Amino acid sequence: MIEDSGFTNVSIGPPVDTFGGAGGEEKARLFGVYGYAFMAHKPG
Amino acid sequence: MEAKIPVDVDALRKEVSAKYREVAVKPDGTYHFHTGRPLAARLGYDSSVVDALPDVAVESFSGVGNPFSPRPLAEDERVVDCGSGAGFDSFIAAGQVGPKGHVIGIDMTEEMLTKSRATATSMGCGNVTFCEGYLEGMPVEDGWADVVISNGVINLCADKKQVFAEIHRVLRPGGRLQFADIANSEPVPESAIQNIDLWTA
Repeated sequence: MIEDSGFTNVSIGPPVDTFGGAGGEEKARLFGVYGYAFMAHKPG
Repeated sequence: MEAKIPVDVDALRKEVSAKYREVAVKPDGTYHFHTGRPLAARLGYDSSVVDALPDVAVESFSGVGNPFSPRPLAEDERVVDCGSGAGFDSFIAAGQVGPKGHVIGIDMTEEMLTKSRATATSMGCGNVTFCEGYLEGMPVEDGWADVVISNGVINLCADKKQVFAEIHRVLRPGGRLQFADIANSEPVPESAIQNIDLWTA
């Protein structure tokens, strides 16, 4: 979807266990939910 | 082919706004996510930067990652923070871009805007402006931003395609998008996607 919007050089960082130890941990584990940092560029 | 929006947009906005209104006014409440300084440490923010911020700038932070981890912002850059909440990432961005840069934080929740604006004033942070708006139609000129950041907010928008189109519009050619958000590796049932209550749970 990011590339479809016209961005290039999309990169994704390592997963972060955002919900570990929080109330949402159970649902996060169920669906394999983690936080990620993304970077993308608008062509010049 | 138009992407189908899975939920009622207005109903979702009301639900999301209600949840984050609570986070703004009751930052010590119990939520399904971590908040504040413990969350910032968990997500790998630079502790010396976070420690220097007043509690009011950090306590309602509820992001899901660190949008500054791919690359720190440069001095003088112009930044849009999509879904700025109580301003935590905007204040960090403001420190990185310095007095000649500028940050525009955009949020739809009145209580978050009230809090972020009051905090900016109390910090004497003159290079940040907080504006009311939706990410699907941001109050920012075409090509204004060098960088767009966001943290845990795009996943809460029903029309993600329109959000990315808006981000593309406000970025200058050669500009970049740095955002943190959640992604799932296991399929989420359609019934769960259509259940607005689960979007904020």
